[in-house]
Amino acid sequence: MSIFAVNHLCRELLRDQAFRAAMKADPAKALAPLDLTEPERRALLDGDVGALYRMGVNGFLMGYLARFEVCGLNVQSYNERMRAVKVDEIGQPVA
Amino acid sequence: MAQIVAGFGVPHTPVFPFFVKRDGPDCEIAKLFGAQKEQLAATRPDLIVMFDTDHLNTFFLDALPIFAMGIDKSFKAPNDEPREVPNYIVKSVPDFAAHIRAAAIGAGYDVAMTQNFSVDHSVTVPLHFLTPEMQVPVIPFFISGHLPPLPSAQRCYALGRAVARAIESWPAALRVVIMGSGSFSLEVGGPRMAPGRSDGVPDPDWALRVIKYLEQAQIERLIAESTEHQMLKAGNVGGELLNWIAMLGAIGNRKPDYIAPQMQNGHAYGVWRWN
Repeated sequence: MSIFAVNHLCRELLRDQAFRAAMKADPAKALAPLDLTEPERRALLDGDVGALYRMGVNGFLMGYLARFEVCGLNVQSYNERMRAVKVDEIGQPVA
Repeated sequence: MAQIVAGFGVPHTPVFPFFVKRDGPDCEIAKLFGAQKEQLAATRPDLIVMFDTDHLNTFFLDALPIFAMGIDKSFKAPNDEPREVPNYIVKSVPDFAAHIRAAAIGAGYDVAMTQNFSVDHSVTVPLHFLTPEMQVPVIPFFISGHLPPLPSAQRCYALGRAVARAIESWPAALRVVIMGSGSFSLEVGGPRMAPGRSDGVPDPDWALRVIKYLEQAQIERLIAESTEHQMLKAGNVGGELLNWIAMLGAIGNRKPDYIAPQMQNGHAYGVWRWN
């Protein structure tokens, strides 16, 4: 269920002003209490939204990472990293 | 008896209120919504029933209904901070909403419900442009159009018909407008965004085909071709077309007064009036 936790924290960026501020100030500290796998945590801290998408995180929700500019992301870097994911005709990641 | 007097298809792009604030009343978005606002006012609506897809704001992945209705005397809008949109309180009609839900369930559509709820930009942005005084009550009807498995187009059309029967069996003489909110082809935040943007239109040919079928009232072809595969191929919010299809089910198979495309966004503004 940890993909749920990643999806949920993305929405919490929108909903929870304190969490948004904490993620902008120190993402590692803000993510520390959350029930994430190490690959998920590393990908979040690296702003590796492509890896997260391939793990099954929702693209729409991850857009909040760029909108609120956390984990080193902005619209441009988010766009480039997400567009680098190879997908099939219906947007599912392919090897 | 309540009667359905018009159908409207509307976009809900969250950044549009910001663009209109920045670019003024002569910009394309302001004109397109302005034309619909005039049309809507001319219908003298007592109530709007809006088919809409929530963007994981009213609902979330912990509980995600395929069909749901908001049933309360009012609701807050928006809950997702679109720029330049005030915080609104939108009136609703809970006894009428409960009647529609009961009738839909009786007809075989298992519609969930939410109370004490708020809605996101997908309900709020069209209302911000079309009824900014929030003088017309709104009943939101949520259709899961983003995360597969999606309900079928045929079922959403039939659901719209069931909702129409429920509306027309309500004893108060209310003029009801049906709205469908959403895009035909759009990817938001996913790999099929356009370069440098936060969204993109993965299948503009499909959006054009949808617009053609709407203009020609070829609803059977629209439904037949609106497979889950096609809607997902059109983008991660391509299933928002289901809201337009449910609206068409509610108003019956009619030719529109007009469909105004906005192809750079993969959507359109549609008006169906007859009364």
